Amino acid sequence: MFVLSFLLRRLLQGALIILLVTFIIFTLLRVVPGDPARLIVGGMAPDEVVAMKAKELGLDRPIPIQFVSYLGDLVTGDLGTSFVRPKSGASLGGASFDDATREERAKVLDLILATLPMTLQLAAVALALALLVAVPLGTLGGLYPGKWPDKLALAIGSLCVSTPNFWLGIVLTLFLSVKLKLLPAIGYRGFSYTILPAIVLAVEIVPFILRTLTVSVAQVMREDFIQLAPIRGLSRSRTIFSHALGNSAIPLINLLGVQLGMLLGGVLVIEFIFDYPGLGLLTINAVLQRDFPLIQGIAIFISVMFVMINVLVDLIAMTIDPRLEY
Amino acid sequence: MPVPILAVSNLSVDLDREGRNRRIVDDVTFSLAPGEVLGLVGEAGSGKSVLARALVRAVSTPLEIAAGRIVFEGKDILSLPPRALSAIRGNRIGFIGANPMGSLDPRLPIGQQIVEKLRCVRPEIGRAEARDKVLDLLGRVRIPSPAARFHEAPFQFSGGMMQRVMIVDALVSDPSLVIADNITQPLDVTVAAQIIRLIDGLRQSLDTAFLFISSSLPVVAQIAERTLVMQRGRIVEEGRTAELATRPAQSYTRALISRIPSIWKDVGAPPARDGEAVLTVDNVRRSYLVRRRGSFNAYNEVKAVRDVSFSVKAGENFGIVGESGCGKSTLTRLLAWLEQPDGGRIAFLGKDLSHLSARSLTEMRRSFQLLLQDPYGSLPSGMPLQRMIEEPLLIHGVDRAEAARRAQEAMAEVGLDLDLADRLPVGLSAGQRQRINIARALVLKPRLLILDETLSALDQVEQAELLDLFNRLQATHGFSYVFISHDLALVRRMCHRIAVMYLGRIVELADNSTLFEQPHHPYTRALLSAMPTLEDNRFPRPRYLLDGEPPSPIDLPLGCSFRSRCPRAQGDCQKTDPPLLALAGGNYAACLHRHEALHEEEAVHVE
Repeated sequence: MFVLSFLLRRLLQGALIILLVTFIIFTLLRVVPGDPARLIVGGMAPDEVVAMKAKELGLDRPIPIQFVSYLGDLVTGDLGTSFVRPKSGASLGGASFDDATREERAKVLDLILATLPMTLQLAAVALALALLVAVPLGTLGGLYPGKWPDKLALAIGSLCVSTPNFWLGIVLTLFLSVKLKLLPAIGYRGFSYTILPAIVLAVEIVPFILRTLTVSVAQVMREDFIQLAPIRGLSRSRTIFSHALGNSAIPLINLLGVQLGMLLGGVLVIEFIFDYPGLGLLTINAVLQRDFPLIQGIAIFISVMFVMINVLVDLIAMTIDPRLEY
Repeated sequence: MPVPILAVSNLSVDLDREGRNRRIVDDVTFSLAPGEVLGLVGEAGSGKSVLARALVRAVSTPLEIAAGRIVFEGKDILSLPPRALSAIRGNRIGFIGANPMGSLDPRLPIGQQIVEKLRCVRPEIGRAEARDKVLDLLGRVRIPSPAARFHEAPFQFSGGMMQRVMIVDALVSDPSLVIADNITQPLDVTVAAQIIRLIDGLRQSLDTAFLFISSSLPVVAQIAERTLVMQRGRIVEEGRTAELATRPAQSYTRALISRIPSIWKDVGAPPARDGEAVLTVDNVRRSYLVRRRGSFNAYNEVKAVRDVSFSVKAGENFGIVGESGCGKSTLTRLLAWLEQPDGGRIAFLGKDLSHLSARSLTEMRRSFQLLLQDPYGSLPSGMPLQRMIEEPLLIHGVDRAEAARRAQEAMAEVGLDLDLADRLPVGLSAGQRQRINIARALVLKPRLLILDETLSALDQVEQAELLDLFNRLQATHGFSYVFISHDLALVRRMCHRIAVMYLGRIVELADNSTLFEQPHHPYTRALLSAMPTLEDNRFPRPRYLLDGEPPSPIDLPLGCSFRSRCPRAQGDCQKTDPPLLALAGGNYAACLHRHEALHEEEAVHVE
């Protein structure tokens, strides 16, 4: 019952957030310069053709009406059709306005769903790598504040946070791919292509996890119930594993929910550097091509994901700590 | 004397900070017989808690055990290998601390945690057996419905109930010694008295020895046969508690006893006085809506203050007492007009505050000032003293030169050295900080000061000095005071009239001598009986002390809200919620079966 009412409340809140995001994105895209009708038909097309295209796409209507009809499509799961991308492949279309192949344009949803698994795979590998390094190190740092594990955690965190991702990407490519030929770097033709970008992404996430965990473990270790545990007769390992870690995990889990935003931002740059065919690369290309429906679709899709993940994170935090209620 | 269960000889503990040694526990020697309750009293900072931890070798850097021997059941604790030590700690020696709410993992069910502890120290006990044992003990410390509460987490318990849980935690392994370090300190008086009664009952049936540590001799005297007095790390006196309390041999013990305020013996209660009403509170109500846990959109109404009426006269000290959750703090916020009542009227100098315009309200605020409990949190740490005291004047539009002059006057009046004027509050004592707060209120020339536990963070000496200051200020300026406090001794000494609150309501309002000598409401008697005193309690506990805890202000019982705990409740209490009835002498009580004045005098001689 409790979980149901929680889900209901959070999902309603989420729907409101998504609606707001949709509206903002939609409006912003329509006030920036650049005529999508002109883009579609090509620079050489006569003005009447552009006007006809605009009418056909409904671009000549007032923005609020366009928004309402867009919302109408949205609830049926239709995110619209890309202005630029053909169904068949990556061609950006020629200059000629009467080229027949240009009519077959890709569905936005299909474009997103095709690239999403790639990005999810990259994000998951990056997160796993980051947790693998940061959790043990951060915990040790928190258990021995002021001692070498703490200092090591701080040093590694500072190093990671001050390394620019594009530089690291290039350097790692140079050493691991070009010189040592250990890992492939550019494009995607199998799982091994994920590793290098994931390492770069993980380096971005590690310092946050490290810092949060060190601080929260150190804080929990100073709590009365941990200090009292040996006097109550609990062994140190039991105290740490069954009490200290559980309590320190809550700030970390909440951080990860927020961190997802960072992760998506990082994906944008990293996918571009490694030419990794994921959502990030799709976004950058959509922006460069002024592909309004695609940009909108991605933004809405990401905001939905954001909301879902935060609901999930809160749900997990709540099962770890029954005191929390959102 | 039988073979002692614990023998401590020449124990010393040092604090080693940056190469400088300070002795915290100094050459302590004592012993404890099986089944005995030994008290240990001393002021804050005398080294009691460090000693308690040193006994189980649980001190860590920068503390260090420098010398001595601790022999427990024939084993030398200080030279045991770690494994043998862990067979004693938490197993043969139980420990209960001063912070019940923070003593267990806040996330996990208490039952599970006690079972975990028991199986850690006694691995031979099976899971089911451990569970039965915990359930049995939860019942024996009288936690209602133990089987359900076994699965609840610490945050679902009140402080008093949680302290019972910690008693179970300490006793579950059948220890032969329990160290109880200041266990009643955070609890309300009636709850603390219940806990002591409980421990007294348990140790008779379990034959467990207790080392009972407290900063209050009256608390220790309720339970300990013998008592040690500790001062600056040394045991200065040791003896049977009754003798020590009546014929202290050492000057320190004498000083300790002389500082305990007397409640009944040779007390001059300030008599009620006449005067025009400064503050009138009329049927004031305040409730809060709290979203119900696990619901989508349902709210509970917490009735924090219910139909409270009283008036404070010019030059009067009015006391409001009650235990946690009785609505004192909400009432304080209403009186200071930080929040507005949902219903009823608060009038100051005859003017209803809710009818004032914003400007005249600001003007009116000069006349009633609030002084808070926390002397540290209530001062801005980056502001020089004099500037702090000028600030209220500047807010009310006084020019700088005049404000500076008046601030310095006020500093002199409250006894702050003028050399401090340009200093920041860093390093000032709690007493000096409260003087700053008093000066800040004083500069506005108020008529009424609302003191919300203003003195409870101070030690006895500082408290006495500030009370003298309050009296002096009252004599020169004619202030009225509202003392909101849980400290009955303070109220006894200072207040002309006193209101007792229970669950948001005034249950009794009477002049000082009636309230302390012949109170009419059973709750007032219960409160008084729960007070730890060295003198004979006028209201002996077996007869007046309550069981249980107040019901939640969310579901108040129908009829009289006190009836669920009231020893005198009868059938009609379930139907009628008694209003505050006027009695002789301008006193009031809200009870259908109130104690009539004198004829219960015989009780005085029972204990």
